[in-house]
Amino acid sequence: MTEVRLVDVEKRYGAFLALPKQSLTIEEGEFLVLLGPSGCGKTTTMRMIAGLEDITSGDILIGDERVNDKPPKDRDIAMVFQNYGLYPHMTVAQNIGYPLKLRGMDRAKRNERVLEIAKKVELETLLKRRPSELSGGQRQRVALARAIVRTPKIFLMDEPLSNLDAKLRVTMRAELKHLHYELGVTTVYVTHDQMEAMTLASRIAVMREGRIVQLDTPKKIYSEPIDLFVAGFIGSPSMNLIEGAVENGFFVAKGVKIPVQLADRRDVVLGVRPEDLEIVKQEGAAITAPAYALELTGESTLLTVKDGATSICVRGPADLETKIDEVCYLAPQAGGRIHLFDKSTGTRIDA
Amino acid sequence: MKNRIYWAIERTLLLLVSFVVLFPIFWMFLTSLKKPRDAYSITLNFQPTLENFATVFADPWNLGSMVLNSVIVAGVTVLIAVPCASLAAYSFSRFRVKGRKILFFLVLSTQFIPAVVIVLPFFLMFRSLGLLDTRIALIIVNLAIVTPFVIWMIKGFIDAIPVDSEEAALIDGASRLRVIRDIVLPMAAPGILTSSIFCFILTWNEFLFSLILTRRDAVTLPVGLVNFRTERGDLWELMSAAGVMITVPIFIMAILIQKHFTRGMTAGAIK
Amino acid sequence: MQDRFLSYALLVPAFVIVLATTIYPLVYSFVTSFREWDLTRQRRPGDFVGFENYAHAVTETGFQNSLWVTTIFVVTSVALTLLLAMSLALLLRRKGSLHTFTRIILILPFAMSPALIGVSYRFMFNPEFGVLAVGLGSIFPGLKDTPWLADPDLAMAVLIATDVWHWTPYMTFMCLGGLASIPRETEEAARIDGASGFRIVWEIVLPQMKGVLLVTAILKTIFALKMFDQVVTLTGGGPGTSTETLAYFVFNVGFEWYDMGYASSLAWILTLIMMLISVWYVRMLLSEKKMATV
Repeated sequence: MTEVRLVDVEKRYGAFLALPKQSLTIEEGEFLVLLGPSGCGKTTTMRMIAGLEDITSGDILIGDERVNDKPPKDRDIAMVFQNYGLYPHMTVAQNIGYPLKLRGMDRAKRNERVLEIAKKVELETLLKRRPSELSGGQRQRVALARAIVRTPKIFLMDEPLSNLDAKLRVTMRAELKHLHYELGVTTVYVTHDQMEAMTLASRIAVMREGRIVQLDTPKKIYSEPIDLFVAGFIGSPSMNLIEGAVENGFFVAKGVKIPVQLADRRDVVLGVRPEDLEIVKQEGAAITAPAYALELTGESTLLTVKDGATSICVRGPADLETKIDEVCYLAPQAGGRIHLFDKSTGTRIDA
Repeated sequence: MKNRIYWAIERTLLLLVSFVVLFPIFWMFLTSLKKPRDAYSITLNFQPTLENFATVFADPWNLGSMVLNSVIVAGVTVLIAVPCASLAAYSFSRFRVKGRKILFFLVLSTQFIPAVVIVLPFFLMFRSLGLLDTRIALIIVNLAIVTPFVIWMIKGFIDAIPVDSEEAALIDGASRLRVIRDIVLPMAAPGILTSSIFCFILTWNEFLFSLILTRRDAVTLPVGLVNFRTERGDLWELMSAAGVMITVPIFIMAILIQKHFTRGMTAGAIK
Repeated sequence: MQDRFLSYALLVPAFVIVLATTIYPLVYSFVTSFREWDLTRQRRPGDFVGFENYAHAVTETGFQNSLWVTTIFVVTSVALTLLLAMSLALLLRRKGSLHTFTRIILILPFAMSPALIGVSYRFMFNPEFGVLAVGLGSIFPGLKDTPWLADPDLAMAVLIATDVWHWTPYMTFMCLGGLASIPRETEEAARIDGASGFRIVWEIVLPQMKGVLLVTAILKTIFALKMFDQVVTLTGGGPGTSTETLAYFVFNVGFEWYDMGYASSLAWILTLIMMLISVWYVRMLLSEKKMATV
């Protein structure tokens, strides 16, 4: 169980500043997810922890040891790559056993351990195959097995599920979650998929353009996003973001009038999640707009209403039968949250 | 109906192309089997004989010694060039060496230098060192021709290998040299083999340097051909036999690598 | 980190070879080009004469002739090779056993020693017993008894033929590679839009091949400038000096007349021409790579 600390770490590529100076502490045994769009610096951060990239300035400590100058092989870490990084000329068994071979474990012990791990990921019948003979899901499990065959201090995972088809991804998520529970190793996980982040993480670091924008538990990030970027990024379907102004204790925009506890001001963005809205009858409707589209998801219907520039999505009952262009009435649910953001800075306004 | 015509035309063209490609080779093989008298007529109806081959290997032609020279020169050149080139190719491919682009361009550009411009200094150098007409001299100059090309080819092959497997090995606990040994070399093996054969072919067929730098002892096969021009006239049947000796080993090798041809040789030119 | 040392260390063996075998002689020959050195009269290099050798070249008829010969050879052989290569590539890119067979044997002309190709063609074009001379003469009566290698223009034609025969396969493979990198969807979309086969090639495929064709043309130009072996074995520079390319001329000056100084300067003129073209080539390569990532 090891803690990882990045202290005042900065990364430049020539003149380009990829990661501005910042610090991050990854606690023992936690499952930290680095989440963000492509190019936000999450993979670079992970590769620095791995030792595959140099740090321009700052320190990385694994445990209590400063590892800046240590090559990857001396950092006692394991990594699962997005494209798996398997050794195509070796069998599955050889792939899994390679880290052990490098550390000088003798063949008998190695084979034993490889078999043990293979059973855990259900690969024991495929040990003699080559990676080219395996399916995507099987290759992914080989990569995983190779990572857990030792007991490293840290697991690093770089979008390991993104090359799998949707269904397999969901299954593997549960597998990873259980594995983490079983092994308890500190894990750093990179993804751009907010669903993966929400379901797997003990904490999420949302990143944008090299900066960590918010570092918090999934629950907190979901219910208290720190700015517009995080608010719009997390949640599927994403949070409704409506531009408007506050007048006389109401947030107003085209077709929208919602009571808020805020002094009058302009340039406000109101955020409310689709599941925090409900469809009501006309009385006291906060939102009035014609229906634009309906999407049946199975257990619910997503109704999008649109009036001019204002577009709002609400999660309604599965048997909803509204017609397109029919006028709809929505209101915030009783227990739901409303978020207010400053339009120009994007930061949250705490009422 | 239209399809049929196109198909017939296509087939004809292909056969025509195959004919144009194979005919000179075929004719040479045929001539090598002809008695001297038949060689000077265009007959297909003749009594084949292997006596030409026997003749060229005997005195005074001694093709055998030229075969030996070619084998040694080409073989040693490959044995030296390929390992050195592989290491350099790996470095160019994987490391962000400072000035990498310039160095690589420098290496590449030496390919585009006409052989004549370096044969003069080599001639003078070897003359003063007493190395004219030696195999060592030929090996040295062939290294000049071949090394940049092999670096380029092998780099192309290594570029095509995904870096992931190497990084995984680094994380698994391998040192960089170990990674090259365990991961990169096995994966690049087909490419390195192709490049080696290519290198062998280039050296085997090399003519200019051998022509100028050898006289008697270190003569290689292509130059040996010129020996068959006598005052009496060209001895075509013997020349053809020698030609067969030059081409057969190369053809076998060439066919082996032809699949990788597109990838390796054009790796630099096309993405 | 440690990698930095290794990255340089790995380059050392190859660079030692390149420096010793290429850079050093280049410099040596560059220096010699500014000296007067007739090997038949002086054992040691002569005095420095500045640009005299180069100036001499400009007015000397041998050099002028070789420039002319080289230009004709290069332009013709590049044009022919490119045309044939592109056509062959279009022909060969489909699947089929005959196609595969042709592709396989196509490597043979490239694998053959150019010197041997020269010899072989010399034999086949001999007016008395050369199979091609006699064969063509019997098919086209007008060609009977043509003194193929004794006529300046015909000799050049045969020389070009040897070069085209030797290099078309290599260029065909380059074009095949280029064709393979064109997304098939562009042709399929054109077919759905109603274009015929010929139009598709002319308006869809070839424009996308521009980069590859240019790169191929430049590369072939460089190889054509280097061409040497066949001149020795096919024509010996003749008849007269009608096939005396610049490369061959340098060889003559250096090793028939043994004028080292002059030969060095000529060699360097050729080198400069080739360097210019190869710079152009590398530029094209790099921009082509950028375009190909679209």
